[in-house]
Amino acid sequence: MATPFTGPNADRTRRWLPLATLVILMVVVGVMQPTFLYPATLLQLASDTAVLFILAAGVTFVIMLGGIDLSLQSMASLASVVVALTVAQLGYGSFVLAIGIGAVAGLLSGLAHVKLKVPSFITTLAISGVLFSTALVISGERSITLGEADRNYQAWITGSFFGIPGVIIIGFVVFVLASVLQSRTPFGRYIAAIGAGEPAAYASGVRVSRYKVYAFILSSTLAALAGVVLAGRLASGSPTLAAEMLLPSIAAVVVGGTAITGGVGSIWQTLVGSLIISVVRIGMTFLGVNIFAQNIVFGTVLIVAVAITIDRSKIPIVK
Amino acid sequence: MTIAAAPYALSLVNVNKRFPGVHALKDVTIHIRPGEVVGLVGENGAGKSTVMKILSGVYQPDSGEIEIGGKAVSLASAYDANTKGIGMVFQEQSLLLNLTVGENIYLGNEAQFTRFGIVNWRDLYAAAKRQLAKVHVDIDPRSLAEDLDFATRQMVELAKALTLEDQVGGGHLVILLDEPTSVLERAEIDILFARVRALKARASFVFVSHRLDEVLELSDRIYVMKDGAVVADLPAAEANIPALHQLMVGRSLQAEYYREPLQRPYRDEVVLEAKGLSLAGGFTGVDFMLHRGEILGIAGVVGSGREELTRTLAGFAPHDGGQLIVGGREVHITDPAVAVDLGLAYVPRERRLEGLVLFLSVAANVTLADLQRLTSYGLIKVAEEKRLVKTWIERLNIKTPSVNTLCLNLSGGNQQKVVLAKWLNTKAQILILDHPTRGLDVGAKEEVYEIVRAITAEGIAIIVTSDTLEETIGLSHTVLVMRDGEVRFSTDAQPGHKPRQVDLIQHMV
Repeated sequence: MATPFTGPNADRTRRWLPLATLVILMVVVGVMQPTFLYPATLLQLASDTAVLFILAAGVTFVIMLGGIDLSLQSMASLASVVVALTVAQLGYGSFVLAIGIGAVAGLLSGLAHVKLKVPSFITTLAISGVLFSTALVISGERSITLGEADRNYQAWITGSFFGIPGVIIIGFVVFVLASVLQSRTPFGRYIAAIGAGEPAAYASGVRVSRYKVYAFILSSTLAALAGVVLAGRLASGSPTLAAEMLLPSIAAVVVGGTAITGGVGSIWQTLVGSLIISVVRIGMTFLGVNIFAQNIVFGTVLIVAVAITIDRSKIPIVK
Repeated sequence: MTIAAAPYALSLVNVNKRFPGVHALKDVTIHIRPGEVVGLVGENGAGKSTVMKILSGVYQPDSGEIEIGGKAVSLASAYDANTKGIGMVFQEQSLLLNLTVGENIYLGNEAQFTRFGIVNWRDLYAAAKRQLAKVHVDIDPRSLAEDLDFATRQMVELAKALTLEDQVGGGHLVILLDEPTSVLERAEIDILFARVRALKARASFVFVSHRLDEVLELSDRIYVMKDGAVVADLPAAEANIPALHQLMVGRSLQAEYYREPLQRPYRDEVVLEAKGLSLAGGFTGVDFMLHRGEILGIAGVVGSGREELTRTLAGFAPHDGGQLIVGGREVHITDPAVAVDLGLAYVPRERRLEGLVLFLSVAANVTLADLQRLTSYGLIKVAEEKRLVKTWIERLNIKTPSVNTLCLNLSGGNQQKVVLAKWLNTKAQILILDHPTRGLDVGAKEEVYEIVRAITAEGIAIIVTSDTLEETIGLSHTVLVMRDGEVRFSTDAQPGHKPRQVDLIQHMV
């Protein structure tokens, strides 16, 4: 049976489906609510997407490897707490500290994965618990609001440059760097090769373990950056600040067309996926869907997207 | 009524099977009479395993008939073959080691012991005990499969195959034995053979083995296969090892086929030397020298240690004794990446698993092992990569629609050329060819030989293990014969001094 997802043009369908979905969604929401397509609303959409995209961009590398990083939201929350607690003393150094903790957490997840040969969903789930508890303990289990004086340090996030919000610029810089890394460097090529055929990559002399660890460091570091940005936008740090972001982040990667089984994908696709998630979120708000019910939709979308992006004729057994 | 007039228990009639680029079976006709042990011999790639897979329902023939008791049937799956009375005992033992013997014997057939979804274990184990008695194995069916030795596991598999008797309602069974002796000791083999003979009243057998002596010993009749076709059908009593071997190889060595006129003498410079090289469980005390431009063939049967030796040189299993000297320096190849850095390249037997990343493009595969050299300021020079890959496509005559085509979509021969291009692109000076022509058709093989001759003329040294002795002898300057983990024989094999296959076989088995 040749459906659009199994027939001869399946690969092309898969490649363009996410972008087509985004355009259709924007048109649908725009028709329902014409103000949606005003520049101001679109800038707001981009700002709202930035944090999600930064999280999703990092985990894209891990997913392309064929792994997963479940510690994203805990890492982002912990980073927000670290910033909130230390920005008064360390100033800009608090951002460096928070992001540095992200790198270390990623290193630990990665090492546990490759050295102890523990599946990444377990190592990152475990690290996630460690990070979450750490955030609870150091924050005293509460949300910490940034003081007036501390907010000056957040200007690069909350301010605007030539009318463009800082958060969009940060997201754009992450997009450019991650895109180059993924599509133009040996690192990006190796990640795709490992995800698509680890034994062949290994036999070709690719230092598989090393590049896997790099991918986890990158994922966790970008999660910490996302936490820093989120702390700036919300002017607070909290152990649950990014609590509902894991599912949308992974959904964004997969909706964009990156295969959960590894090997296939790109940062560009993750950007499209992130925008789809944002537009769906805003569309649901317009439709009056309870904000707490949104993960019902994202959960469903995730499963449908995985079902569409996996070419099961090539993968007989899925565990 | 003579035996010949009785209906055959199982037949293949004019069966053809093609895979992309390979005509694997050509009009194969094989008959198995009730109570008969039929031996099936041939070199690797001759079509034995394809026949076994068709008989066991794993593959379906493209044309031709499968007949049971003279009636045409189709075998849609292994399960379907089972229900029609065809059982299997495979080389890769198929018992689930974490289950008990009884659970294994009735795996998938528990329904007969099940009431309201609950298995009556006492009945199941009692029945398992009766099955084990058929093969004279006295073990507790509640013991775990992993606690049994290989020989007993083999017997359990046989007992499992015999449960099909109940399913086919007393009909005749055919049991496929695919390399059942490869992990057994001689005494265990004797027991297995005795059981098989004793079971001839209940079942027919098809026996595949690399060991011709065993085939002669056990079989009533022997089919010889070569290049996908049956070339002989003879009673075991009239056969002997040299005759079988002659039939398997067919033609006498064709010098032209292996491009022997292009074979140049190797140079004096030693590029790799093994001194007493050992690997626990693999090989011991291996000595050899590899020179620039030399092709060193390693012959040996499964278990001779030659596969482990190539894996050690490629970095998958670092040696734990002796010395390995590459380019004058003692080395320890702890990882394939170390091998690559030393200029050693490995063309693996599992081309689609270890040779290529099937889901990456031709270009990405060709440059995968040497990407760092193609970068400036950390970025891949995409235009230069494309240009480089195009020159390789031209030089090795790789047939691909574009440099961006996924390797998945290339034929086996072109895939192998991509693997070769990848390594030649690294400027590797030593190539380890692990069964380099496996699964390739004749034309693709010749192209590989052509490339091998061209690169050795440039000074690249090659270590090759082949599917056939013919290929080993045809390609090599020097041939080592390994057996039981040791080098037992070494001979010059330059044009004019090529050894005969029998000269090597006597040291192999």
